[in-house]
Formats: sequence, C-alpha cells, structure tokens
Amino acid sequence: MKSNSRQKKILIYILMIGITFITFGPFLYTLFISLKSPGQGIYDGLLPDDPTLVNFIDAFNQTDFLLYLWNTIIVTGIAVPLNILFSSLSGYALARIDFRGRSIVLTLIIATMTVPFQLYMAPLFQIAGDLGLRNSHIGLTILQISTAFGIFFMRQAFLHVPKELEESAYLDGANKFQVWYKVAMPLVKPTVISLAIYTFTFTWGDYLWPLINTTESSMYTLSIGLAQMSQNFDGGNLKLISAASILTTIPSLLIFIWLQKYFISGTADGAIKG
Amino acid sequence: MSRDPFTLSKKGIKRNMTPWLFLLPSIVILMTFLVIPIIEAFQWSFLDYELISNTSEFVGFENFQEIFTDDMFWMAFINTILYVAIVLPLNIFLPMILASLVNQKIRAVGLFRVLYYIPVVTPIVVGAIMWKMLYSQDGALSSFLVSIGIIDDPMNFLTNSTTALIAVAFITVWKGLGYYMIIYLANLQSIQSQLYESASIDGATSIQQFRKITVPMLVPSMTLVSILTIVNGLKVFEEIALTTNGGPAGATTTLVMYIYDKFIDLDVSIASAAGLVLLALAIIGSLIQMKLTNQREDDLRA
Repeated sequence: MKSNSRQKKILIYILMIGITFITFGPFLYTLFISLKSPGQGIYDGLLPDDPTLVNFIDAFNQTDFLLYLWNTIIVTGIAVPLNILFSSLSGYALARIDFRGRSIVLTLIIATMTVPFQLYMAPLFQIAGDLGLRNSHIGLTILQISTAFGIFFMRQAFLHVPKELEESAYLDGANKFQVWYKVAMPLVKPTVISLAIYTFTFTWGDYLWPLINTTESSMYTLSIGLAQMSQNFDGGNLKLISAASILTTIPSLLIFIWLQKYFISGTADGAIKG
Repeated sequence: MSRDPFTLSKKGIKRNMTPWLFLLPSIVILMTFLVIPIIEAFQWSFLDYELISNTSEFVGFENFQEIFTDDMFWMAFINTILYVAIVLPLNIFLPMILASLVNQKIRAVGLFRVLYYIPVVTPIVVGAIMWKMLYSQDGALSSFLVSIGIIDDPMNFLTNSTTALIAVAFITVWKGLGYYMIIYLANLQSIQSQLYESASIDGATSIQQFRKITVPMLVPSMTLVSILTIVNGLKVFEEIALTTNGGPAGATTTLVMYIYDKFIDLDVSIASAAGLVLLALAIIGSLIQMKLTNQREDDLRA
C-alpha cells in the first residue's frame, strides 16, 4: 500500500513536470534565444553557448522600447485605479442600495458582457476620433476605465458584506458614501486586488484596441511596438525581439507572482459565482 | 413618517439621487464607449455607411446579402467553427487533468499551479512571438519531431495549410490552460473528501473514482468552460493576426479576421453586419451548450 502510493506520487510529479514543458517551455526557449551571443545562430542548439546580455542592452538602445514601456505604464496607471473606483461605486449601488431601475441597469450591464468587441470597434473608433481621443493615452484606456465585468465582479463581492456592519455605521450618522468607503470597501479588499490584477494584465497586454486607435508610433504600447518589431520576422533580429518579449512579460509576471493568491481565488470566485 | 408620493421632499430627492451618483461615472463611460457603439453597429449593418464623409443610406438587408454571397465570408465562417471544434475538447479535458494533478496533497503543487497559470498573464503578443519561433522550420518543434521520426523533413507549421489552423488553435489552448484549470480546481475543492474515502473503502481504483465521482461532479465546470471556450473561440483574433495573418491562402482566416479586414478597408457596414452574425453565433452557441448540459445534468440525477 505504502509503496503503491509512493509510486503514484512519483507518477504525478513526472506528469506535472511534463506539463510544465508545455506551459513554461516557450518562455525558456525564448529566454535561451535572447541569451545567445552574436556568433551563435538563433536556432543553433537549444542552449546559449556563450550567454550574453547584449540583446537586452540592444533592446533598450536600438529600439523605442523605453518609450513603449512608458506609454504602457501610463495607460495601465490610469486604467487600474479608475476601474477600481468606478466599478466599486457602481457595484456597491447595485448590490446595496434599493432604487427604482436597479434591476434594469444590472441586466443591461450583464447583457453587454456577451457582445464581442469586434462588433462595435468601428463605431467606437469613430467616437474616439470625434472626442479627440485618437493617439492619446486617455483614448487607449477607454475600454478599461470602467468595465461591465468590473461592476459585476464588485457587486458580487458587496452582496456578501454583512448588513449589520453597515447599519451600525448609519446609526453613527454616516452617509452612504462614507459607509461605502469606510465599511464596505475594506471588507472586499481581496476582490479589489483581483480586479486590479485583471485590469492590469488586460491593459498591459491589450492589442486590438491600441492597434486601431494609434497611428503614431510615439503612442505605441509595448504590445504594438513588439508586434511592429516582429513584423519583418525573418529578417528581423529575433534575439533582440526575444529579449524585448521577456522584458515585456516581467512586470505582469512579478505582479501576478506577488498577488497570485488573490488572483487565483478571484478567478475561481468570478467563474463560480458569475 | 408618511410620504407624499407626488411631491418629494428635499431629503427624498437626495435619497433618490444617491444611487445614481454612485453609478454616474460608470454610466457615462459605458454609455459613450459601449452602449452607443453597440447601437450604432446595429444601425450601420442596415446602412451603407461612409466612415470618412459620415454619410449613409438605408439599404435594408443588402449588407447581409453581400456577406452571405461572399466566399471569403463562408471560408471564415467554416474556419471559425473548425477552430472552436479543435479547441473545445482540449479545453474541456486538458485543464481537468491539470486541476486533478494540482489538487493532490503533495509538496510543491503551489509552484506548479503558478507555472501553469503564467501563460494566462502573458501578453498575447509575446505568446504569439514565442510560438512563432517554436513553430518555424528551424524551430524546436520541427527538429524534435524529425528526430523522433514523426515527420521526415523540417517544416513550418504555420505556413502549411493542413497544420496552420491546428497550430494556431494550440496557442489559444496553451494560453487558457491555467485559467480553466483554476475553474476546475475550485469545483474539485468543493467535492467532499468523504465521497472518495468511502469509495476507496469499497475498493474503487483511482481511475474508477475519477470516472464515477470526479467527472460527474465537474459537470457544472465543464458547462462553464464550454461556454467560455465557444464565446472566446468565436472571437479569436490576436493569435491569428500575429502568427499567420489569416494565411496560408485563407486557411486561418476566421470571422474576426474577416471583420477586421473589412474594417481596415473602411467597409464598416459590412464589418457591422458580419459582427452581428458573430454575436448571433455566440448567443446560439451558449444556448445550445446550456440546453445540452441541462439535459445531461438531468440524466445524471435520474
């Protein structure tokens, strides 16, 4: 019995490591390419013979990587706090305040979540142009500064806040905004953090909307910049592109690893309750 | 305190305003950037709309007639269905296996969960670049398959019309593995361990337990994963635009690629009409899926 369960464990580990080659293998492959020296061909052998950081230095010096990074940081820096603020305000009203029209607003918000972006991207492009939001940082964030998903996600969390806590705050003379900010928000902190990471990863890696809404290369985000760099894939410097790809992934990766507990449980909650 | 229903007191107005003040920023943003564009897309699909001159003419169903008689549209339509058909079974079963593995009470499972989840948070452009290198003629996958004798000569999987769609679909599967794994994992952790304990006392093997307990208990997650796969699969764009750009010879052109190409050509009315077809497919797909699963859940209960 004991050796049987030991064998089973070894089998499980072998399987798990095998799967790691599929999920994490492409990262290692790219990392190895990015570390290959000028003398070694891109596809010559798997490992770098003479590991060097020269491709990373070139990514900074020979491309507009820093500019793209800066644009991406600004766009993400606008989207994350605003989406949290606006989505939690709306989510709170929809979960905790009784008012006429509440269920209609909620139904409408949920209904929009099924509509593919590609259906309305052309009208959105025109609206962004009319409002002077093309080639601007704000223009790049309009899909993320308040999202139907965020509102719904926050509403689900506020539904679970105990009513008694709010009632005692009202007795102490607090108004609805104070109760939202001082009582309810601290209690849904894990959800707020998950929403922050969702908004971060989505905005950081978003491709289609920035592709449509930016025509000037000075406004490119990392996704667009990388895609442009890799356009001439066969002629392009793949080692440099690999280095830039690794650098682009690091911020997402660090934030995810730092807050993964919340992120993973948030995904599960969103999926199961939603 | 009695309330006059016709004249609201100052306090009453304030109370009625409060929820709307909470909702105001979101409503303004969602109206401007979501609801109005959606309504316009519906309108444009029945108009001959000129984006540049901002002029339009009502044409009824002409845009739909045009796409339904366009061979490229049908090719994109079939490719989209094929794409979903490739991704769907992989998305249902692979993450289920992953979730069962990382649900074991053994050391370092936390690390593996993180390693499996990383593709989910990786920007899709980076994912596409990585897989493009792996799939290239001199890349690792080709060399590996040649060395174990599965293929005779090195090949580029993305420029070969028989492998291109499967190769791109696998990028989607790779990107979603961790996400769907977590959905299954949350479901698995809600299954009571007593069920397994009594099953092992009765002498059920691990595989029997998996088939008789785990799989039936996971039906709710399977439904959710199927719906998400159908809805997201119909919308696939980045993986394709960044690796094959619809080629070779249209072999990977999907509905969204078709819509995007029309948009780039400023045929926005045609793009809107094709967008409505996409929305209809998404709704039909989820409805069928829900209906089938309800049936299955009833069968399981019976």
